[in-house]
Amino acid sequence: MENEGRRKFLGACVAGVATCAAAAAAYPVYRYLSPIKGEQGAQKVVFAVAEVPDGEAKFFEYAGSSAVLVNSKAGLVALSAVCTHLGCIVQWEKDKQDFICPCHGGHYAADGTVTVGPPPKPLPKLPVVVAEGKITVG
Amino acid sequence: MTLFKRLYDWIDLRIGASEIVKKELTGYLLPRNINEWYSLGSVLLVIFALQVATGMLLMIYYIPDADKAFKSVTFIMNEVPFGWLIRLCHAVGSNLMIAVLLLHMLSTLIMNSYKSPRELNWVTGFILLTLAQGISLTGYLAPWSQLSFWATTVATNSASAIPVVGPYLVEFLRGGKLVGPATLGRFFAVHVAVLPVVIAAFIGFHLFLLKRTGVSTPPFGSIETDKRWKPESYSYQHHPGGIPFFPNYALQDATSITIYFAIFFAVVYFAPNLIFTPDAFVPANAFKTPPHIKPEWYFLANYQTLKIFPNELIGLTIQAVAMTLLALLPFLDRSPERHPLKRPLFLAGTIAGILVWLGLTIWGHYS
Repeated sequence: MENEGRRKFLGACVAGVATCAAAAAAYPVYRYLSPIKGEQGAQKVVFAVAEVPDGEAKFFEYAGSSAVLVNSKAGLVALSAVCTHLGCIVQWEKDKQDFICPCHGGHYAADGTVTVGPPPKPLPKLPVVVAEGKITVG
Repeated sequence: MTLFKRLYDWIDLRIGASEIVKKELTGYLLPRNINEWYSLGSVLLVIFALQVATGMLLMIYYIPDADKAFKSVTFIMNEVPFGWLIRLCHAVGSNLMIAVLLLHMLSTLIMNSYKSPRELNWVTGFILLTLAQGISLTGYLAPWSQLSFWATTVATNSASAIPVVGPYLVEFLRGGKLVGPATLGRFFAVHVAVLPVVIAAFIGFHLFLLKRTGVSTPPFGSIETDKRWKPESYSYQHHPGGIPFFPNYALQDATSITIYFAIFFAVVYFAPNLIFTPDAFVPANAFKTPPHIKPEWYFLANYQTLKIFPNELIGLTIQAVAMTLLALLPFLDRSPERHPLKRPLFLAGTIAGILVWLGLTIWGHYS
């Protein structure tokens, strides 16, 4: 009985040490594989007003994702360009002045609201400021 | 009944796991006088697995492009969380892999375990040593530092001494007249895609041979009844009354692996610069040869041999002869006696060979 207890105790100790060693090995690997901070792209993007003429849209990288500046009748709006359905990048249809998602045919108005199709939510709006001939997103 | 036991029984019912455990672990008997040197094979398996794992992780950030390779390695070392740890584990591991391989071969040599019927075990082991040196050499270029660039230049240039085909062979190895972006491309492909597969295949074959011949009995300690191999028919070397692999020798394997990790992490954490010279931290410059460029420690003896002989062909021939003799040792040494102390000439030759190798290595380091 005494041996049995000692064996169980040693077994528990070995299992404990093995678990600690596995965690010590897994944590650096997890951190190594995780997205690196500071590699998420610019948090503030500046354009000249002339870069986005009336009726046009300009796509750009923003905070590690895709965004779009659109200059329509509704005014200048900055939106996430990622479709809220399954994450494809929406395309600007200049003639219709709306966005289409080519993956599943979702449509958004120039201000990002859903007009047709499966997207469950509008395109998220991004903060945008126009001052001294410059457009600042973020 | 614990959950673990129930799970084991469930699997056992389907695949007969307990039969495998009995045959390969608890019923797999080893000689009673087996010693710790026999565990180096298991240590090498762990090292190889770790090299594969860290190599895969490094490939996530490493860019095999001459313009970006050095920057990507610097990025891994300085920016990626624990990138320094993964890279140092890979670099230190490659050095220790060669060291443990040499010890494994040395123990086989001293205990005369290469003799019949284990000639193929020795030859495949020898091939594994050269493949390990090859994978280390091709990986050495990857950081695209001054050290890796010029060490590769010197190493590949050695082949030019081979008559007739030498100059072409150098160009073929490099993918051009000089070491350059083409060399990095082909060395990287060989390092990550060709050699690991070939090494894994040879490890498999080496283990297959071990399973077919059985573990050799050490020539020291209480020797089992005389069971010298007779070349009449195939016979597996059983060890009746021996100790079971599990748990007895598995504990020795675990102990040796733990000692290895202690040494390994001591170098990784406390002396990583042991394997790097200052040239390893400077990007490769094809127009600036750094002074005193030296190969890795395990190539220093080869390097010094080439320096001693003014004719490069003689230097290469001597090395080729020495390596061939070592590779074919089981076929040259036919004596059935395995105790080194009962073979003074063999022991003297072995010690002399080791001293010459050590002497050339130290000389190469300080020359």
